[in-house]
Amino acid sequence: MPEDAIYHVFQEEFMKNGSMNHQWIKPAGLLSLLLVPALLLSACGNTGTEAAANGQAAQTITTNETADQLYAQAKQEGKVVVYSTSGRANDAAETFMKKYPGVKVEVSKVKSDEMMDKVTNEQDAGQFNPDVIITKEVSGAVGKEMVEQGRYLKYLPDDIAPKVDEPYRTKAPGYANYAEFRTIFYNTDYYKKTPVTNWWDLTTPEFKNKIYVADPLSSPAFMDLFTTMVIHSDDMAAAYKQKFGKDIQLSGTENAGYEFIRQLFANGLTVLKGSDDVLDAIGKTPSGAVGIAVSGDVSKVEENGWDVKPIYDIQPKTSVADSGYLYIANKAPHQAAGKLFIRWMMGEQDGKGEGLAAFNEVGSWVPRSDVKTKNPIGFEELNLWDYDADTLYMTSPKVRDFWIQQK
Amino acid sequence: MSSKSLSPISLKRNRSRLWNQVTGWLRNPVNLIGTIGLLFLTYTIIWPVVEILIATFVWKQQDMRITAAANPGHFTFYHWQRVLASDISSSLFYKPILHASAVALCVSVISMVLGCGLAWLVTRTDLPFKKGITFLAVIPYLLPSWVIAQAWLTFFKNEKIGGTPGILQSLTHISTPDWLAYGFVPIVASLSIHDSVYFFLLVGAALSSMNSQLEEAASMSGAGRFRILRRIVFPLMLPAILSGFILTFTRAISSYGVPAILGTPVDFYMISTMLYSSMRARLTTEAHVLSLMLMLISMLMIYMNHRIVGRQRSFVTVTGKDSHKTVMPLGRLRRPLAGITVMLMTLVSVVPLLILLLQTFMLREGVYTADNWTLHYWIGGSVSGINSGEKGVLHNPIFLLALRNSLWIAAISSVIAAVVGLILGYVAARGKQTWIGRMVDQVSFFPYLIPGISLSAIYITMFAKPHFIVPALYGTVWLIILITVVKELPFTVKAGSASVMQIGGELEESAQVSGASWWTRFRRILLPLNRKSLLSAFLLVFIGAMKETELIIMLVTPRTETLTTLTFEYVEKGYTQLTNVVLMIMIAIVILVYYLATRYGKADLTTGIGGQ
Repeated sequence: MPEDAIYHVFQEEFMKNGSMNHQWIKPAGLLSLLLVPALLLSACGNTGTEAAANGQAAQTITTNETADQLYAQAKQEGKVVVYSTSGRANDAAETFMKKYPGVKVEVSKVKSDEMMDKVTNEQDAGQFNPDVIITKEVSGAVGKEMVEQGRYLKYLPDDIAPKVDEPYRTKAPGYANYAEFRTIFYNTDYYKKTPVTNWWDLTTPEFKNKIYVADPLSSPAFMDLFTTMVIHSDDMAAAYKQKFGKDIQLSGTENAGYEFIRQLFANGLTVLKGSDDVLDAIGKTPSGAVGIAVSGDVSKVEENGWDVKPIYDIQPKTSVADSGYLYIANKAPHQAAGKLFIRWMMGEQDGKGEGLAAFNEVGSWVPRSDVKTKNPIGFEELNLWDYDADTLYMTSPKVRDFWIQQK
Repeated sequence: MSSKSLSPISLKRNRSRLWNQVTGWLRNPVNLIGTIGLLFLTYTIIWPVVEILIATFVWKQQDMRITAAANPGHFTFYHWQRVLASDISSSLFYKPILHASAVALCVSVISMVLGCGLAWLVTRTDLPFKKGITFLAVIPYLLPSWVIAQAWLTFFKNEKIGGTPGILQSLTHISTPDWLAYGFVPIVASLSIHDSVYFFLLVGAALSSMNSQLEEAASMSGAGRFRILRRIVFPLMLPAILSGFILTFTRAISSYGVPAILGTPVDFYMISTMLYSSMRARLTTEAHVLSLMLMLISMLMIYMNHRIVGRQRSFVTVTGKDSHKTVMPLGRLRRPLAGITVMLMTLVSVVPLLILLLQTFMLREGVYTADNWTLHYWIGGSVSGINSGEKGVLHNPIFLLALRNSLWIAAISSVIAAVVGLILGYVAARGKQTWIGRMVDQVSFFPYLIPGISLSAIYITMFAKPHFIVPALYGTVWLIILITVVKELPFTVKAGSASVMQIGGELEESAQVSGASWWTRFRRILLPLNRKSLLSAFLLVFIGAMKETELIIMLVTPRTETLTTLTFEYVEKGYTQLTNVVLMIMIAIVILVYYLATRYGKADLTTGIGGQ
């Protein structure tokens, strides 16, 4: 009877194992074959405990080295691996490699939430790949699930720290090299002056079916703005009174923040995919519509041919900051190089380093007292709510539920 | 236990009988290969799904955010209850799943009509320009589906989403109705254009191997054309058609890019958009429940498929006898039909491609003046004011590395995927009556439904450290190749089984009688006869691997950077032209591969099996 080659191979394999008692060994061999997946499965299953241990073994890192000392070490290390949500890292990398030859920068671009999963899984599996993390917050989750667990480590060099503005010097979980925020944009061909001074303006008939926003369901940073309004519902209620001269009547919602979201939908809010789509909608042709988009897009206005301007003063507060944090990863394999690269992005000790250029743009603010902003208004003068990471973390799922129910 | 009454000898005899049974069972190649295949699938697919499933019943630390009742590490039904029976389930699950199912069904039906019709024209009639049409049919699949959605908007959009009005509206000055511009209709249309290629390739391969004597015999017995189609061609094609149906259905029900662009303006959410949102909001468990529901629905679809195909017998079209093939003359319709087909296909495939190509030479989008033409985005240096000083693609320092990685990954994974697909398809087809065949068939289907992000996140854990015999693949291109092969299994296995099902068992049997081992039979009979389906699997995986982002993005490390991760970066920054340049390069590569494969692989879809 003809038999299969593959089968032969297997049989030979089993025969080799078998010595005295073929009857016994054979089934055992087969059994082990069947057990392979089970063993593999159980091998993968026990990573949960390592995660907990990882959190406790949070590393502390030194902050007193000078750039020269770091460079000497970094040359030994040879390279630095960066996980970044922002393309600005690539720009800084290019100037960095000119300034510090012998240290190669490798940048991986990942979205902030995917980066959390990636780094968590890597570290739990004992792989420590990245040195530098450049990330946005995801409704407080980065702080809670990464920084507090010791997966991302704050790094603020001693010689630069005194020049860093709050909250990033001591209050925030890490140092952010730039901050942007979501605000209302309007068409400059259509409006000669800012059409909106109070968030509640958007609920009036004047803006019926004329408001665009990037989908907060797919962009946590947009949801953070609305969540912050819910957290600061007292501010929203006060602004309502300021606008309409009477106390707010809640129509079945929990507070003035939720009420604002409800009325925004009632006024015909149109949700688009992203911030660029919003500016396309209001900026390509003269339009009376306004849109909520990210301030950082101001730097793209000219290139994209948008006739738009952001509003930097809205009642009760313009917005909430969305910060681009710089962290050192836990057990970074090229820690000195990582620190050196962070210093470079911060603009070195005097804030004049070329690495900062990519971050110090119109629409973004660098929180350093010795760095001049390119914006018409300084970071401190911006009327922003504090980014309350803990409360945001706990509140945002509820606000998201509320948002989904408006559909 | 009864073992007490057994003497050691009878125990031993029992064992040896069991052993004989097992070896006898394994002697059947379907069972042996099926077992090995199933082990592979268990590790690469079932385990991740089980891990996802278990996670949905356990409180996570993060759940403290949703409810104070959360008790991390303990068992709970909360997540299921939240998705299926809470005050937000209507908006979170039921409406989106209804939308998604409706879209998926319509897309499948429309793709079926388009794909089968085209496949029939190309394989069974004397239509001119067959090769050209076959080539055109693959082009929409080359484009990422969101490009088609974007093109739809450019043409049909109205004042609802502001900006420059759509072409139709600027020409006719009639406002396009919302239903035509956004939501259900355009989503179905875009996805159908993109995904009908599955039908075309699967049914095309099946049709081209059909012996036309069957049709002739029916014709001689007095059956009309329509009757022949209904009673002979259709039943023969049924397995391929149903495979295509399920593939298109699952692709459509889980697609994200198109509904995100066309659905959001009118609040038309699909389960995939909700799932993505849950992921981004870090409500991972919620996302997992949603994806498990997607799997459940699709399993129901497959079950129905099995009921239908199971009841109908599957037919063998490739037998040991020489099959001669005549094509149906179209008569007077020949030229007009060809004209219409070519025109329509040019409209949906070539025009978008040309627009994209033109855009890469335009300094500013949509400005048609002589001084606006430029090669900057291809070969330009850093000029501040254009894309924040981003250099042309060919000058990007990581371009060459990314190109090499992409080619490497696409080439290797498509070859492996095609062969693995054929082998597993063989098990699924030949073992249709056994549990192992059915298992392989069912399980190989999941990868389309597991969200790419979840699958790759689990793969990091599984492959970051060596486990037993599985080496640490994370950080190497091999993991990306593995996940690409796994992710494309639904198509490759379907293509493989649909094609093996048509090959008569007597070919193998006669070889077996002549003493050929399974390997010889596989190499000398199955591989050559399935060449066409192998080619389509190879091509589709190659294209898929070149396009894949979501899956790869989690798994790339700087050394494994690919062209798609480069595009991803450009898309994020809104660098349209640079994105298109990379897209064009990728498409050029695929076209070249297509040409080489049809030329030297002698596996042209327009001709009969084996390139006759």
